[in-house]
Amino acid sequence: MKRTQNHEARDQNVSASDIRANLNDHHVRSRTQPVAWTGWDLLNGETVPTLTVVLRTRGCYWARRKGCTMCGFVCDSNPSATGPDIYREFLGVLARFGKEFKIIKIFTSGSFLDSEELSPDVRNAILAELKDVPKTIIESRPEFVTDENCEEIARSNAHVEIAIGLESSNDYIRERYINKGFTFRDFIRASKAARSSGFTVKSYLLLKPPFLTEAEAMRDTIQSVKDTTEYADIISLNLCNVQRGTFVEKLWKKRLYRPPWLWTAVEVLTQTAGNMPIICDPVAGGMRRGPHNCGICDHEIVAEIRRFSLSQDKASFKTTCADKVLWNFVLEFEEYSYGAPLVP
Amino acid sequence: MTRQFEVTLRDGAARLGKLRWKERELTTPHILESKEDLELLKKAVTDNEELRVEVVSDPDDIGSREITADVVILGAALRFERDPRGLSRALMSVRESINPDAALYTPALATPANLSMLVYAGVDLIDTVLPEVKAREGFVLYTDGEDRFDETQGFPCVCSACLGTAVDNAAIEQRIARASEHNQVALRAELSRVRRHIGQGTLRELVEGRCRATPVMTAFLRLLDEAYPYFERRAPLVRTATLLACSQESLNRAEILRFNERVISRLTQREGILLLLPCSARKPYSRSRSHKVVLECVRAFRPFINEAIMTSPIGIVPRGLEVMYPAGNYDVPVTGKWTCDEKEWVRGRLIEFVEVNSFTTVIAHVDGPYREICDEAAAMLDVDVVYSVEDEGVLSPVALQRLEEMVKDAVAAHSPKRRDVRFDYIRDTVDYQFGKSTSARIFLSAPKVRGRFPTYYVSDGGRRVATLVEKYGTCALTVEGARRYIGKRASQYCVWIDDFVPKGTVFAIGVQRADPVIRPFDEVIVLNDNTIAVGRALMSGWEMQRSNRGAAVAVRHVEDR
Ligand code: SF4
Ligand SMILES: [Zn+2]
Ligand SMILES: [Zn+2]
Repeated sequence: MKRTQNHEARDQNVSASDIRANLNDHHVRSRTQPVAWTGWDLLNGETVPTLTVVLRTRGCYWARRKGCTMCGFVCDSNPSATGPDIYREFLGVLARFGKEFKIIKIFTSGSFLDSEELSPDVRNAILAELKDVPKTIIESRPEFVTDENCEEIARSNAHVEIAIGLESSNDYIRERYINKGFTFRDFIRASKAARSSGFTVKSYLLLKPPFLTEAEAMRDTIQSVKDTTEYADIISLNLCNVQRGTFVEKLWKKRLYRPPWLWTAVEVLTQTAGNMPIICDPVAGGMRRGPHNCGICDHEIVAEIRRFSLSQDKASFKTTCADKVLWNFVLEFEEYSYGAPLVP
Repeated sequence: MTRQFEVTLRDGAARLGKLRWKERELTTPHILESKEDLELLKKAVTDNEELRVEVVSDPDDIGSREITADVVILGAALRFERDPRGLSRALMSVRESINPDAALYTPALATPANLSMLVYAGVDLIDTVLPEVKAREGFVLYTDGEDRFDETQGFPCVCSACLGTAVDNAAIEQRIARASEHNQVALRAELSRVRRHIGQGTLRELVEGRCRATPVMTAFLRLLDEAYPYFERRAPLVRTATLLACSQESLNRAEILRFNERVISRLTQREGILLLLPCSARKPYSRSRSHKVVLECVRAFRPFINEAIMTSPIGIVPRGLEVMYPAGNYDVPVTGKWTCDEKEWVRGRLIEFVEVNSFTTVIAHVDGPYREICDEAAAMLDVDVVYSVEDEGVLSPVALQRLEEMVKDAVAAHSPKRRDVRFDYIRDTVDYQFGKSTSARIFLSAPKVRGRFPTYYVSDGGRRVATLVEKYGTCALTVEGARRYIGKRASQYCVWIDDFVPKGTVFAIGVQRADPVIRPFDEVIVLNDNTIAVGRALMSGWEMQRSNRGAAVAVRHVEDR
């Protein structure tokens, strides 16, 4: 896609080898039980109860190899967890929480469709359990969203939504600043494969990858929403936060990165709402490591963003605050700092 | 090599310059104030047409990359706002790896409080971005720090933005607008102050005051001072401005360290009797009443003894260098009390001075803190130190009489060689400027000194060789002196130029090679195959070699070689 002047100027400062070197010291977290929690989400314009289950597979192969600059997922600490273990644990979670949810999310900290993470038998068995749930969301990198895989899991009769971490529709940004390792075309192909098996597609977009100014990040995400509309059924906007052991954390500690302003998220949501559902959960909202504003208005705005996600109603955004003047200045002038956030 | 920027005046690492850009000639240090300028400069990074601009984001990673831009931007300089170590390292490392005649820009970093220090470290271009950010964060900036505006009833300021406007009840947007205006005015005001100080050669004095605003800034100055070679390479041989030593940091000035280094490493070795005296407020010391009285009483013996003055912060000043900067031209707060740092510093210099020379007798005509220092030093030396003052004061007749007798006895006991006291000034100054045993090379037989202190003319073998210039305290060589100095193998303090007859000013572009040891105000010898000239350096030798623009040497006399 578009390779801007600014990026060239900054490129001296990033190289793939940097990113690799920096990611080798990912923290390793260990987990012995699947994690599960309940919540609320949007389904066909209605707020419905959800269950989220995180399976302890070996995790994302990409994270193990190079990894994305902002991603705190790490290689598995328990590679001995076998398919049957995972399936047994999954049944345990269902026994504990029941199946009475409109949406069940099955996450693996990686790709559900990567057979190195989860064997086809296990994933099919899991999905077969969920055929009566109105929507089952799984996550996968596009390279595993093949016609073959989609046809295979379609046989479970589960109502699957495949969530793909596209992050940005701009290949240059995705490649150089996120280190994602796939193209927008790969995403489009995956989306087509998923849809032709009758699945819906969710696209994760990342607001503010490293090395973008606030304004560039805002423009990139707005453009990405537009570019993605055709290929996704719902967009989940991730506001970048600083996770431990990531390349983004190193930049943040050197004062070369700041998570997005909440105002920017509000702006993206208001400018793009209406065409398709767009949801956003401001993880670590109001914290230094998460998306934040001045500290006074953060709490209210985080609540408004959550409210908007469930209602899709732009009128959810009511808060005003004195720091909006500062944010506007940042949008206009941050590019002249040549790489440092104007406000920490 | 740069084309659009030229340094016109230096004060250590700080400079005044001219940047030609878009049919304008900007005086640097300059504030990029308009968004258009910020945008134009940004465009120039990729366009590289008229002005060549380059961004250096990682100063540790320049490696062998050759940077030839007119303007170099320290990328993301703002990351160092609260990191004095990172900032000092980054600034010095960029400055050393780019051409000296490239302008250095630190984007979005300057405030009224840190501007002087950035310029002091070698920055040429700044902007108003951070002051505008701070206004929107609720801060009013001053050279001595910042205030939150809800904590102040109006701003304690009478600048054009603040004058006559009450802000107590103003809406927040109005307060922000006013603070923003004030912050920019304050930055501009500080810039003109900084320029004036560079013009006078007194930026260091300003910076020693400004650094008190915050611990971060004090740390910044101290860290810069740890980089002695960086500042020594840029420090002029002499200044006409008086060095004001008003702070603890004054002791760390490059010029003071260099003075002591040269006293130890360059001067001709002394022997026999050393007379130690306390410093005086008036400079040169021998013009002060106290020195006149003391010298009068030992007058007959002066050709047989060596004199040195103990002083804070300079250290030990041999009599022959009393006119040389900074010894001839400094001022300190006098309270009669010395700090531990001062005492320790002078004691160290005294020990060194006695150790590198070979004195047989040290007579100290001192009292109070000077005496304490001598006592402590004596304990570490193998020469005996005797005191001619007890508790009656250095100017009391009893002490003066005791001094006279001690000196007389010492001279009688050692019968040293007689010297011309006036020639000491020439000998020490020439050695100080040109290096060890230069005086022995230039003055072959019995040099004759004429003139009145401190303007001395020296002839040797019937030819004028050198003049001690009162204004600078330096020795100017005649062409004959220069010929004797360079001998057969010209190298030190020489500037080789292209094939032309130098007149008036030699520009850096015409310099082929220059001794990197040359500093601004050094006396230099200008050479090519056909001519030999003497003159005064206007920039450092390494800078002449690496610059394309700017005046390098002011030539005084030319002769055929
Ligand atoms: S962001 Fe997704 S693809 Fe990238 S490393 Fe993390 S889990 Fe893997
Ligand atoms: Zn706010
Ligand atoms: Zn004011």
